[in-house]
Amino acid sequence: MENPNQHHHHMPTTSEPNDTGATEKWAAKLLQECAKAISEKDSSKIHHLLWMLNELASPYGECDQKLAFYFLQALFCKATESGERCYKNLVSVVERSHSFDSARKVILEFQEVSPWTTFGHVASNGAILEAMEGEAKLHIIDISNTYCTQWPALLEALATRNDDTPNLRLTVVATVGMGGSVMKEIGHRMEKFARLMGVPFEFQVVRVATRLGELKEEHLGLQEDEAVAVNCVGALRRVGVEERNDFLQMLRSIRPKVVTVVEEEVDFTSCRSEFVKCFEECLRFYGVFFEMLEESFAPTSNERLMLERECSRSILSVLACDQNGGGDCERREKGSQWCARLMEGFSPMSFSDDAIDDVKVLLKRYRSGWSLLPAEGDASGFYLTWKDEPVVWASAWKP
Amino acid sequence: MMKGDFEVVHGAINLVQPSETWDYTPAGFPVPHHISNPPTSPTARPVLDGHCTNTDLSDLIMEQVASPFSEASPSTTNGFPMDTSALPTDNITTSPDEYRSRKAPRRVYERTVCGSGESRSSSKSLAERDHEHGLNMITLLLECAVAISTENLPQANRMLLELTQMASPYSASCAERVVAYFTKAMASRVMNSWLGFCSPLVPHKSILSAFQAFNNISPFIKFAHFTANQAILEALHQKERVHIIDLDIMQGLQWPALFHILATRADGPPHVRMTGLGTSMAMLEETGRQLSNFARRLGMSFEFHPIAKRAGDVDPSMVPSQRGEAVAVHWLQHALYDATGPDRNTMRLLELLAPRVITLVEQEMAHTGSFLDRFVESLHYYSAVFDSLGMSLPFDNPGRHRVEHGLLSREINNILAIGGPARSGEEKFVSWRMELACRGFVQMPMSGNSMAQAQLILNMFPPSLGYTIFQGDGTLRLGWKETRLYTASAWTTRPTR
Repeated sequence: MENPNQHHHHMPTTSEPNDTGATEKWAAKLLQECAKAISEKDSSKIHHLLWMLNELASPYGECDQKLAFYFLQALFCKATESGERCYKNLVSVVERSHSFDSARKVILEFQEVSPWTTFGHVASNGAILEAMEGEAKLHIIDISNTYCTQWPALLEALATRNDDTPNLRLTVVATVGMGGSVMKEIGHRMEKFARLMGVPFEFQVVRVATRLGELKEEHLGLQEDEAVAVNCVGALRRVGVEERNDFLQMLRSIRPKVVTVVEEEVDFTSCRSEFVKCFEECLRFYGVFFEMLEESFAPTSNERLMLERECSRSILSVLACDQNGGGDCERREKGSQWCARLMEGFSPMSFSDDAIDDVKVLLKRYRSGWSLLPAEGDASGFYLTWKDEPVVWASAWKP
Repeated sequence: MMKGDFEVVHGAINLVQPSETWDYTPAGFPVPHHISNPPTSPTARPVLDGHCTNTDLSDLIMEQVASPFSEASPSTTNGFPMDTSALPTDNITTSPDEYRSRKAPRRVYERTVCGSGESRSSSKSLAERDHEHGLNMITLLLECAVAISTENLPQANRMLLELTQMASPYSASCAERVVAYFTKAMASRVMNSWLGFCSPLVPHKSILSAFQAFNNISPFIKFAHFTANQAILEALHQKERVHIIDLDIMQGLQWPALFHILATRADGPPHVRMTGLGTSMAMLEETGRQLSNFARRLGMSFEFHPIAKRAGDVDPSMVPSQRGEAVAVHWLQHALYDATGPDRNTMRLLELLAPRVITLVEQEMAHTGSFLDRFVESLHYYSAVFDSLGMSLPFDNPGRHRVEHGLLSREINNILAIGGPARSGEEKFVSWRMELACRGFVQMPMSGNSMAQAQLILNMFPPSLGYTIFQGDGTLRLGWKETRLYTASAWTTRPTR
């Protein structure tokens, strides 16, 4: 009975160099086999794999256990054809139980430990500042999902510019999940901060009735002499697939100085009628995301749990909902796909050296593993990579 | 309250060909027949073999999943374990070194604007909302349990989806943590009911590691070990040859303390033969090696026999008795996996062994019976256990999480699974104490010395924390506040002459 001081660390880390790799990623293996068995309609194999996944799965354990749990949940809903109903239930539960405070806490903590969202912010702000150089009246149309955490940095930059501080109007396009009270809070805080920074500021909220694709120029309250920037962070994917090109045309028609687009690098659109392909892409992306979450947060983080649950809703909607389901179904596309659409009415804007430097400085603030990769070939802009895997795409466009 | 008739019992039943029981949804996904056509009576359920026939893949996966066998074991002096140090805390990621100037705007934003964080627009106070939230969770949990007990899986699933968004296992509230794990267990149960399988995949290595962690932060295991050791010592008094049979030895954490006392006996140590039952021969052999080394260092003559079988599967000829040997049998009940197998066979083995002492430590909770009975009892039981952990460790302590997730959650999962922890449909005893009494074993009341051992262990955990010892019916019980959790008792074979 030697050495009572020898500590046994139960939770394996994914960065152990002597891991055989066999211990890792068992969930992905089982789930991939499951997808294959589904396509082959091998019911006893499916049965067996689901049973194994169920035995090993847990939403509170290691990365693989979480993936197993949430994918199993989605598969169950799919098999019992209850995906739509379940998704709607989940969304309403979340709306009921989550407050502005909890949402704010989650996103701020996420930005503290990971550049996943701040990358797009810094890149977009850089592009916006450059495009609006010399303008006296700025109007930013913000269609994003990060609760205006992007704008303090921009306000500060505007306040410290050499020339006179310009006027800024911020129009936030609010969709589902950004309830009235939430937007009021955000507006109040933004106004207060702008006052502090000494930037003349106006805040307004535009509420889209049902689908983002229905947004029209007249909703935006544009004025004659202002320079417009449209900021789309995680926005375009919320436009119905069939409406995307029209939506971009609409954006072009308001003659913005710049359109910034930030999206996650994953494709749920081109495969939306092929379950297995969708499944594999879903597994690939969320495998990376969950791993990133596990390495970025403390093991008992409630914020990380909230983000994982958000993922589980996405996984459910992608795998178990009809392709036209709900309008909430966020069918993501990759950078190269968005580029193909954007090229119809826009041309890419390159980021200045200053903007790129800003991003590099940002990445240094976080744990290692993150880096910057310029897009090539069909795509323009650049990617945030995590362990060499492109995960977020940022780009800027002018009509 | 729904009773046992809705429970599915899986016995030795033939595998039904999948094509006969599965439909296909338009998406090409197979659906068990009983889901698309809900059964009107329990007998309409599909019959499937209770055990996984394809063991190769699951073995391989288990090998890959299980963490390395721990070498850390407690060293002991004077019968008390020394490893009461706090669990190692993980090195949490360090935050970025300097706050660069770019960060200033957001910091300013937070400091000046975010303030106290209370939303002005909410009409209810924070405390009121929390209370309501808690009530909603418990109500939903109970409704879900009822849905499962009536095999209303779609309804249960709907409620589980809600619950999985509501309760956090990292919460400062112990009740919320309990709800989180019960939710997970029921989700697993719904899946099992749907699939029709019920045999468990048991990752023994990670269980052992979690068990050891539990032993470090909580007195329950030590209570079991030390009160039982005391009863064994008393029964083996002045015996020169002893045979100790541990029905579920795991890493043998219990025995070094006993060996130490036996080795330092006034009239010299006895020859000790130990038979350890367990799940894997490799682990048993390792345990045997450790115990042998320890015994050798104490100068005690020692033999170890591993048997990689459950007690109920053991052929009595595998446990031969030797003349002049005093036999002690020990068993600590848990819900981590089915350690004993067919209880009737285990009982028969005990009768044949005719031990001088049987030390038994039972969990005060139903391991068998209807789903709702198990649900209600285990909810009560684990609420107490979680409360006890909550008193000793902060809510964000990773060690506490490891124990709750790696050990307690596993037990909860098993208790709520089809048929309970055994998952085999074999008949399990409701109460071992009752069965021993019925089979003619005589109860030996736990002595004052055993009580003293229990007290000594509790002294390691400050009294204000809430652990309580009950003494009565000849047993010793350890509990948390008013909830009795573990009951230790000792029995002997009625002399035949």
